Amino acid sequence: MIEITNLTKSYGPNKGVFDLSFNVNQGEVFGYLGPNGAGKTTTIRNLLGFIHPDKGSCVIDGLDCHKDAATIQKKLGYLPGEIAFFDDMTGDEFLRLMAQMRGLKDTKRQSDLINLLTLDTKGYIRKMSKGMKQKLGLVCAFMHNPDILILDEPTSGLDPLMQSIFVELIMEQKALGKTVLMSSHSFEEIERTCDRAGIIREGRLVAVENIQTLKAERRKIYQITFQNPEEAKLFAKDYEDVVEVSGQIVDAAVSGEVGKLIKVLATFDVVGLDVVNQSLEDVFMHYYNRSDIDD
Amino acid sequence: MISLPLLRATIKQNYKVFIIFLAVLTLYFVVIAQMFEPSVYESMDQLMQTLPIQLIDAVGLKIAEPSLIGYLAGYYYGFLIVLLPLIYSIIVANRIVAKHVDKGSMAYLLSTPNKRVKIAMTQGVFLLGSMTLMILFVTVMGIISCEIIYPKELDIPRFVLLNFGALLLHSMLSGIGFLASCFFNDTKNSLGFGAGFPIFFLLVQMLLNANERLSNLRYLTLLTLFNPEAIIGGTASVLPSFIAMFLLAVILYGGAVLIFSRKDLSI
Repeated sequence: MIEITNLTKSYGPNKGVFDLSFNVNQGEVFGYLGPNGAGKTTTIRNLLGFIHPDKGSCVIDGLDCHKDAATIQKKLGYLPGEIAFFDDMTGDEFLRLMAQMRGLKDTKRQSDLINLLTLDTKGYIRKMSKGMKQKLGLVCAFMHNPDILILDEPTSGLDPLMQSIFVELIMEQKALGKTVLMSSHSFEEIERTCDRAGIIREGRLVAVENIQTLKAERRKIYQITFQNPEEAKLFAKDYEDVVEVSGQIVDAAVSGEVGKLIKVLATFDVVGLDVVNQSLEDVFMHYYNRSDIDD
Repeated sequence: MISLPLLRATIKQNYKVFIIFLAVLTLYFVVIAQMFEPSVYESMDQLMQTLPIQLIDAVGLKIAEPSLIGYLAGYYYGFLIVLLPLIYSIIVANRIVAKHVDKGSMAYLLSTPNKRVKIAMTQGVFLLGSMTLMILFVTVMGIISCEIIYPKELDIPRFVLLNFGALLLHSMLSGIGFLASCFFNDTKNSLGFGAGFPIFFLLVQMLLNANERLSNLRYLTLLTLFNPEAIIGGTASVLPSFIAMFLLAVILYGGAVLIFSRKDLSI
């Protein structure tokens, strides 16, 4: 459905995207992972036809993303990564403009989405919170029931409750056979919804994997608090992948199955157990390191 | 080839500025027209003689002939009719394209099934249309005010021709702002170039007026294409300059739409 072939768009060394190729199949939810500045938005801008590739091509549903941009938009729902609207409009006015520019007559779906996301469309957009604006963008992307969705960091600014509603929305789209490409800088955001994910680093694709494979390869760090520093040291001796010991607190890494850690921990008195929030580079260290060697 | 919903939205965003400019244009017109009085005219002349001649010349306050239209051509059409609509077009041209790209709201417009050409043409139609409406308003308002203050005094055909010249001038000048707005991805440059060129022209024009020895500078400004005295005087043919302004307007607007439809957008 979405085909990116040898896409290159350079904004200087390691800025932009370089020789990028991947496909998103019909009915698939594809996660596009990378830290900020890795080239996610550049890829998406190419898909929307906002910029021309230096080399390579982007095709959506058999149509060229630049030449046939306007035709593609009929079937496409897009959520921009940057939240910027017409500030001097109310939410209602903006949605009406968007619907009219799409030639969309039926606004039932639009009002359903507004209810689902508990969005207040009466007020001026410039007075809305970041989360509200994000919801407005989501309504815009979904209101015409598109076959393909391209969402640039869709959950940013949403509270946890709204994030779950968003996940349900995506699952519903998946059940309907829609194709979704969503970018994110955190694995947790996409692991619940995506079938496959591509990981991008400095404009180059370092992996395209099944989400189950990625889950198995993910390296998580748990922070374990023991009764006393002695116990912590004992544990550090028993467990193979210890990142750091400081007093009674140990950071232990787990790649894949967490069972091994639990088995070792069972013999200790554990006071606290937390998951450490990590950046994408830490979670998929091996991908990022591997490509360092390749360079 | 234009998007009516977008046109409506653009009108709604800009009509307040438009009305303010109409009000200012009317105010100046009525104030200046009221001062036309053969006796007052003489005292104005005396007043003018007390001022440095370069200053008067620089702002183009030249009187071609001692009639109402000659007076208006000098006092209103010499400077104000150039400056005021120009400021309007600089502000609006920047707002209708470059600002949407700079802020990112253009991404929403382009996520609808409308070609870039259509979006740019809609905005161009608004700018050119509002300029036309503005000059049309000045024409009608001018005729009505003159008929009220000085019945049957105004040479209406020549006044209409004068305004037609002003319309061509502003079609061309607003084209510069529109091109800058379509070319640049940020409002800083769009405004810089869109305002920079016309202001440069205006400064050259003022230098030209003030010092005849600098007459070679006339090739550096497009404003010499609009010469109110020549238009009402009917001495030299104004047709070549009218055609030149028309062609430049077509090229500027057409080029702007073409550039916008092809460039890389940072949205």
